[in-house]
Amino acid sequence: MTNARIVFLLFTLLIMVSSSAYAMNGRDVFEKVHELRARMLDQKTEATMVLHDRGGGKRTRTLTEYGKNASPEAYKALLIFNSPADLKGVGFLVHARTFAEKNLWAYFPEYKRVRRIPTSAQDDSFFGSDFSYDDFSGPPSLDDYSFKILREETVDDKPCYIVEVTPKIPRKYTRYIAWVTKNLWVTARIEYYREKELYRSGTFRNIRLIDGIPTPFNLEMENHKTKHKTVLTIDQITYRTRFPNEMFTQRSLERGAK
Amino acid sequence: MRCLHKGLWSEAQSSWIILYLKFLRFVNFIRLTYRGDIMKRALIVAFLLVVFSSVCFAEDLLSVSGRMNLRGVLPLHNNETATEYPSLLGRLKVDTTPPKWRFHMWLEGGWDGSADLKAEGHSVLKGWSEVYQSTPLFLEFKELYGSYSNNFLELRAGIQRFAWGRLDEYPINDLLNPWDYTQFLRKSLEDRKIGVPSISARLNKRDWNMELVWVPLLVPYRLPLFTERWSVFPEIATLAEKYDAEIIHQNGDLPSRNMENSSVGLRIQSSGTVDWGVTLFHGYDLRPVFKTTESVISLISGQVVVNPGAEPDFHKMSSIGIDAAFVKGDWSWRAEAAYAIGRYHNTRYELWGYPSTPSLGTYKLNSNEHQSDTVAYGIGVDYRLFEDCLLTMQAQQTLINDRPDTLYDRQFETIIWVNLKNFFMNQKIETNLNLAYNPEHGDTMTKVNAWYVFTDAWKVGITATGFDGPSQSLFGRYSKNDQVEIDVIFSW
Repeated sequence: MTNARIVFLLFTLLIMVSSSAYAMNGRDVFEKVHELRARMLDQKTEATMVLHDRGGGKRTRTLTEYGKNASPEAYKALLIFNSPADLKGVGFLVHARTFAEKNLWAYFPEYKRVRRIPTSAQDDSFFGSDFSYDDFSGPPSLDDYSFKILREETVDDKPCYIVEVTPKIPRKYTRYIAWVTKNLWVTARIEYYREKELYRSGTFRNIRLIDGIPTPFNLEMENHKTKHKTVLTIDQITYRTRFPNEMFTQRSLERGAK
Repeated sequence: MRCLHKGLWSEAQSSWIILYLKFLRFVNFIRLTYRGDIMKRALIVAFLLVVFSSVCFAEDLLSVSGRMNLRGVLPLHNNETATEYPSLLGRLKVDTTPPKWRFHMWLEGGWDGSADLKAEGHSVLKGWSEVYQSTPLFLEFKELYGSYSNNFLELRAGIQRFAWGRLDEYPINDLLNPWDYTQFLRKSLEDRKIGVPSISARLNKRDWNMELVWVPLLVPYRLPLFTERWSVFPEIATLAEKYDAEIIHQNGDLPSRNMENSSVGLRIQSSGTVDWGVTLFHGYDLRPVFKTTESVISLISGQVVVNPGAEPDFHKMSSIGIDAAFVKGDWSWRAEAAYAIGRYHNTRYELWGYPSTPSLGTYKLNSNEHQSDTVAYGIGVDYRLFEDCLLTMQAQQTLINDRPDTLYDRQFETIIWVNLKNFFMNQKIETNLNLAYNPEHGDTMTKVNAWYVFTDAWKVGITATGFDGPSQSLFGRYSKNDQVEIDVIFSW
């Protein structure tokens, strides 16, 4: 074997090794994440959300979320606040015709009125928390984003792909970086940027397997501009609920899903 | 162990006895302060049972929430209007949790510092027979109903409030509930709606639903006394004050309570890319209209007594309406319109025939009502200016067909309404700037408020309200009611 041949073989081997290190590209990783989130759609969740302000003050909200996978691509979601008294009965309904096209409604029992919400509000704060309306909706359309694997890292003993996600259409955040756990395909950490500035970040811990679906039970989101933090704890979650369509109507929104 | 058990038992027994004694004391308090008919007594007993059972047993079966509101008002024209004292208002909501058969109660009560009616001869519990019933101490069932529902049908019977139509503050197709005008423009739409005894059936099929409502008896609107700060006739109030006169309040003749005089409404609506609805209504028009007879000014035991001779009048009407809501880009639109047949309107106040210099005697007043059809329409939009900042704009107009020159209302009456809502510090602070303008008469209302949420239970708010315009116009009639109000709210 000549020296040239050896160099060529080593070079080919190097390329193969380096490409196998990223056997998946960013889009592949997020297709797996998307697949998992689609499996999570049929669910009922009881959760507690604690809002921590900079001065140490706390406000607590409890809520119930119902979801339905309305295949092939659509989903429906209904979220009802159970406390505090001021928010009790306030609800939020999503009908997604596709992962990109949604109708949103909010209901305020004090006014007995259902109000339509434009999707432009989807990145806004969800009822004063550091989560956004979008965080409580289903998975996004992957075609609206571009993905790039930046590196690999271990978070809480879990090997992760670190993927940079950039929206193709104007959104509040110009890009975000997600730590996606290998094999589980759950996001363990996420950072939202506006241009180069880190705006908010979240960590998702206490991942448990429920009905074969890895589910983080402790979700923390912090706004770095305001130093405000929200901790969302899942108290109970049930998958494969297969709720009827009637659960996701305006009437059900008005009745608090009862 | 046995001793411990015995101790716990006697402790439980004594707490029951204490609760029972408290209950009896409360019943006695209500019995002493309350004068009313059998139906009202039954409602009081129902309320007591619900509260008592909710306290004792209820965690799993009932969901109970409520709030207390301490309110202080600083009038800005203190010498020109009646005194208003601080108010302490309470709210209690009780719901049963089983889904098919439900019970719901929304009770309000407390001390209303703006009210002036002496409690003697009037019920503390707000009733359905009087227009003038603003007693300082009051109880009111805003809602009290039982319901049965399955996936396709919901039946409700009891005291209900409805929200038909799409527009804020002055919805056009929302015709089933009368309004409480005792602090008219100070209150939000939902605060001023009076619950009516009714039976409703709602059929649901996917994104469609049809609601049929029957209101068997007329519940009249409520008006403040002529001597209260929020009187709708400031001219009469001024006159009464000038002559230190006592004014007689006439409640008007309610129509006899039979099937023929009931009201009925039907609404069909659908949701989707565009939400739309069609509304039909036949029944009593719940906007205030007055009938004039004769005004009597007399001297009784050295006291000037004035009977203004203007009493609330009630007429039937029919209405057909449509409404829609949809989102286009960043804008959330809504619109509604209605054609009302046979509405009554009052002529201008100065044509009613009151003497320019009143003295003791009887004055025959002129006929002051006119009947004509109206068309009302309006459009509103929400626009998110930036995160936690929402601009709501609304314009609506009423067209009176065959309008005679004697009416105060013009052929076209417009209300332009704008609200800018802004949240700060993760919704710990909420501010609202609210402007309303009636271009035909040039009258305006401006309201600015700010709320600060201390904890989940405590919040405090300050609201400044100003009115301007001619004395008979919608907003101008309250031009002496500019005020600053402070509210402290505890909710649980």
